[in-house]
Amino acid sequence: MVMLIRRRLFCTKIPPNSHPHKLQWSVKQVTKSNFNDSLQEFKSHLSSSDFVAVSLQNTGSFSASWNRVSSFDTPETAYLKARRAAERFQLLQFAICPFTISGSKVTAHPYNFHLFPRDELNIGMPSYSFSCQTSYLTAMARHGFDFNACIYDGVSYLSRAQELVAKVRMGNPIALNHIPTSSPPTVADTVFVERVKSRIKHWKKACTDSSSRKIDDTLIKSLRKLVSGGEQYGSRPCMTIDVCSERQVQLVSEMLREFSDDLVALKIPTKGGGTQAVRVVLTSSKEDRSLFERELQNVEEEQNKKLRGFREVIELISASQKPIVSHNTLNDFSVIHSKFIAPLPFNMDEFLHSSQSAFPHIFDVNHMMKEIGPLENVTSIPAAISYLKNRFFAPIEMELSHGAFSDASKIHGQTVVRICYLFAKLCSVLKITPGAIQSDDGNVTSLPGYANVLRSSSGSCEESLDGGIRIWTNSPRKVDCKDLVFLWGFRDRLSAGMLKSLLQGSHEVFSGEFDVCLIDKSCAVLVFLQPNLSQAFLDVMSSEGISGSLREFVSEGLRAADYETYKRACSLGLWETDLANSLDKASATPDQFSQRGPETKPSEIFWCKDLIINLDDL
Amino acid sequence: MNTTKHWPKRALILSRALSRAFSDTPSPTFPLKHVTRSNFDSALAELRSHVRAADFVAIDMEMTGVTSAPWRESFEFDRFDIRYLKVKDSAEKFAVLQFGVCPFRWDSLNQSFIAHPHNFFVFPRQEIPLDRTSYEFLCQTTSMDFLAKYQFDFNACINEGISYLSKGQEYEARKRLNSLNKDQLTNLSRDLRETTDLPLVRVADVLFTERMKKRLSEWRNELLQNGVGGPQDQGYPNDLNQQFRTVFFKMRPALSLNGFTSHQLSLIRMVTRNHFKDLAYVHCNGENTSEEFVVYTDSESDKDRLVEEVKNDYQRRAEMKINDAVGFRHVIDLLSSENKLIVGHNCILDIAHIHSKFLGPLPLTAEEFVSCVNKYFPRIIDTKILLNADYTLQRKMKKSSTSLSSAFSSLCPEIAYGSKRSVLSHEPCVKVEVHVGEMRSSNWNSGAKHEAGYDAFMTGCVFAQACSHLGIDFQLHSASETLCQNEKLQKHMNLLYLSWINGDIIDLRTGNRTEELLGSNILRKRFRPILFKNIVLLWGFPSRLKPSMIRDCICKTVGPTSVISIYRIDQTTVFVQFSKEELVSDFLNLKETLEQSNDAISVLHPLSQLLEGGNTHAASYETYKEICASPISKVLFADQAEAVGIKWKTELLPSSEESQENNSFHPESGAADTPDAFEKSKIRKKEDSSKQKLCDDIIDSFIKAEKIRRSTNL
Repeated sequence: MVMLIRRRLFCTKIPPNSHPHKLQWSVKQVTKSNFNDSLQEFKSHLSSSDFVAVSLQNTGSFSASWNRVSSFDTPETAYLKARRAAERFQLLQFAICPFTISGSKVTAHPYNFHLFPRDELNIGMPSYSFSCQTSYLTAMARHGFDFNACIYDGVSYLSRAQELVAKVRMGNPIALNHIPTSSPPTVADTVFVERVKSRIKHWKKACTDSSSRKIDDTLIKSLRKLVSGGEQYGSRPCMTIDVCSERQVQLVSEMLREFSDDLVALKIPTKGGGTQAVRVVLTSSKEDRSLFERELQNVEEEQNKKLRGFREVIELISASQKPIVSHNTLNDFSVIHSKFIAPLPFNMDEFLHSSQSAFPHIFDVNHMMKEIGPLENVTSIPAAISYLKNRFFAPIEMELSHGAFSDASKIHGQTVVRICYLFAKLCSVLKITPGAIQSDDGNVTSLPGYANVLRSSSGSCEESLDGGIRIWTNSPRKVDCKDLVFLWGFRDRLSAGMLKSLLQGSHEVFSGEFDVCLIDKSCAVLVFLQPNLSQAFLDVMSSEGISGSLREFVSEGLRAADYETYKRACSLGLWETDLANSLDKASATPDQFSQRGPETKPSEIFWCKDLIINLDDL
Repeated sequence: MNTTKHWPKRALILSRALSRAFSDTPSPTFPLKHVTRSNFDSALAELRSHVRAADFVAIDMEMTGVTSAPWRESFEFDRFDIRYLKVKDSAEKFAVLQFGVCPFRWDSLNQSFIAHPHNFFVFPRQEIPLDRTSYEFLCQTTSMDFLAKYQFDFNACINEGISYLSKGQEYEARKRLNSLNKDQLTNLSRDLRETTDLPLVRVADVLFTERMKKRLSEWRNELLQNGVGGPQDQGYPNDLNQQFRTVFFKMRPALSLNGFTSHQLSLIRMVTRNHFKDLAYVHCNGENTSEEFVVYTDSESDKDRLVEEVKNDYQRRAEMKINDAVGFRHVIDLLSSENKLIVGHNCILDIAHIHSKFLGPLPLTAEEFVSCVNKYFPRIIDTKILLNADYTLQRKMKKSSTSLSSAFSSLCPEIAYGSKRSVLSHEPCVKVEVHVGEMRSSNWNSGAKHEAGYDAFMTGCVFAQACSHLGIDFQLHSASETLCQNEKLQKHMNLLYLSWINGDIIDLRTGNRTEELLGSNILRKRFRPILFKNIVLLWGFPSRLKPSMIRDCICKTVGPTSVISIYRIDQTTVFVQFSKEELVSDFLNLKETLEQSNDAISVLHPLSQLLEGGNTHAASYETYKEICASPISKVLFADQAEAVGIKWKTELLPSSEESQENNSFHPESGAADTPDAFEKSKIRKKEDSSKQKLCDDIIDSFIKAEKIRRSTNL
């Protein structure tokens, strides 16, 4: 043990305050050791606040550059991408900040929960394994993330769906509820019941005898116990009856009901969900019986709490029905759904429905920023804050429960406070009275465009940890997905401009206006700004009569596919490193998804010339 | 944890304390050498000399996980090729976080080994952007938890871990940097030679160009007046804002340009090009910054020389950058180039990790893998093989487990407990002196188990002790060459457990698979040899069915003795081993028939219990291989099969004569993950088979089932 402690001392300390220039707010850091205490505190802060801001820290966001949500994605493909990321990567920190806005003053109570999916029950839950993106971890390390704190002391959790499974698998005794038997007993049943009955009779007699005789000699007591085959359940004597079927469980329970009312039957489940045995516990009186039943209930509640772990916090938020403010709703809520509610459904509508039923009011600050015209492409929080600071006079005073400026150990989870701040500022700029949102009991229509918040957040991108800014020089325009064509199989290291000029002379469909944008090194997307040209181009690509330089390109391997193929690649989960490979595979697979009836989903995207700006890839 | 309990007498403690007090050996609990980014270069230089002098080098590593899904664990029912696929999957998905290297050298003067345990923190940082894809690795939560339990320092690993490039990546990086350089160089020569003028449209640009022309010519004249050899700063007053600074660039006088916009710089570039024959514009890319210079050259030939020098500079910098990025692989290259005996404990996975991280992607078959490894590391010894193969060693270990820590404590108690217990057994123990930097100790124990460096040290000690028990005299075999030649060692050389569970051993020299050697004391539960052709893979059945129920269900229809065994892979999947090969296709055909017909008879059929839910899939053993070969890893096998793209429910086999042929080669084993490959590779049941025939089949099997029922009842 000494060795281990010494070794722990050698462990790297995270350099304090790696960003001295930034304003640091004090955030309460929660790990396994202080989770229970913090939970109580959090509960009271939550109930006294109007909003809850959340911000998540994951181990990665996308495996290949095209896997990130991009502006050529429809809400559906954006969801599929978010779903993929949520299933693949792990959530390590969950910062939550209940806050209240009154006038220009924000009262905030930020918490930063360290999480780690510990397989505490040894049943492969909450997660068997997870993926890490090295660049992501390196960037987190640069920002002073403490991995040791997370992995050693992170709070574990189970989702709602997992909790149900775990309860069965743990095989904890469950109080037996009586269900009347449906069929008349057979001979075998009667024999079984009689045998059990006589066993219980003997055992009970032995128990009551020994307790009345009050033998102090523990040796004799334990010997007697050994002989009578009795066991102890807590301080009460009990006996285990092996059963082979659910039918026998019923029989035992029925028999016990008739037999005596100071016996409580417990079901010992098997790992598969069946019943292995029935345990009969002897209570000394009616009062003792109800006491015992209460005890059982408490034990179960305690057990549930242990199973849920951090999810208790999510349940509190969900139960409070407070509006949740987040910066990247689609990604955040797909993670929240997959880790704390249930596996993500395949279908986006199901996801929306399920999320909304758990969290009815969600605000996306990113979405709100779009209300202020030119801001719509400033996706990083610090950039948005400084933008608002320069443009608008909307002083916000922050009051934090854990003190304003902090010592070095409390810096993690700053983003969540910034989200509160930004939200308050946006409310002030957009002339939204936060009180009004709250007052009409859950009716949140006062916020423009709110209803669609999860849906319309698709175009937004990740916030980079470095606070990179995406400035789009051309204003985006609406483009129908039908006018998009994916193109691959061209030479490596070809720039979009070169590709465009190559195409321009190759065929007459390119005489009209069109745009080219590289998605990754192997694939580009073409957008035709005139209708029907895309279909004409696709037809040319697959026709015999292809000629000229385009024929040359095709024989060198150029291939094209429509937007449906791209959708199929996403929905089939063909997340190859290169989009070109995914599209190749998707075009080879028969179309089985388009047969699901007429397309009702919006199939328009906002097209913008500088589709992909090279953020330093996180 | 408390080591004192192993000391038999208090007196011993006293004597040890006294002896320590009088000898100048420091406390034996100093930590081993941790190597991170910051001290890597010096540690590598040191390690180089230690490895060169070593007789053998023990290695060990800590990974982020072992199996990417529960069904990827090692099973008894895994064929040889599948076992390799499982090792391959593990090595490809997980990352190595710690790499322990411990060179051992025999010191004939002191009659002891000298060990230098090193513990490298490794982290696959993306130091050179090879392509737009990001590096990703998997973590198994139980493994991470395990590492945390032994106080693994994740922060040190992620912040300070040494990165690496595999040979393939290095090649790719060199290619890429060369082509980048070529681009830059063509730019450079264009700057110096070609003239493509920017149109001067704005007044501001015209004025700026004139001003720059004047500035440059002033500076040049100044230079020429003062003599080319030495420009004097005071001759030309430097700008207040330091836009121009006279410096030397490659031994030539030059102006360093600062604080200009890129547009301004391109104007300056143009001016230099068009108006000054003896000035050259040079753009230098530094680590994070780029610098611009206007350089004075004596003549055309001097200008060419300058281009040459700048070019070489680029080249050198690129080389250095790649060399740095190769990082930890230098250690692996060192072990390979020094041709030392590598010692590991149950090290097939370690070797696979070395291959996938430092050599290149793992090949598809075990044979290719083995031949590649053998070329790179011609001599590998697995101590687990050694301990299990030799009877004398087994006796020495008193039949304890051959896990590393128990082997270490039973073979090397002196080192493990720092006691002299083994004196009683009259067996001389091999002495091992540990050197870490200036520290020396002959009974060193850092106590940090499951730290790669310490595990490597334990492995080496076990090996040394085992050799001595085998009667190998280190005095005679001081050079590592002769140690390897020793025939007692030779017969264990280059053998690795492909899977410890089955005792399957692979020979690295030949790729041959061998059974465990005779003399092994391990009594393995071998029923009878598993015939893979007789196996049906069954998944997606109702979850409440237990293996025994599945057996009953199948026995009722195919025959009471038809099923030899049922092996559970996970809650969704079992292997069913039939007694005869024909039964496999019989069963698959029957299942297909039942599923195609939809009448009352098939509902009553005993097999329908198994098919309930309509999601029960069945296939031959080859499908299991295809599923294992897929890069996807879902937690449940049934989900995995779906993700791999299996759309059929029953894989129908061709009639048995054909299947004989088919078993000799597997055409579809290569392209396993394309969904359409599956569709094509499976023979679909012809739809024209009449309804009548279906009914007949079912009724036949019914009668059979009824017969069986009667016979078993009797």
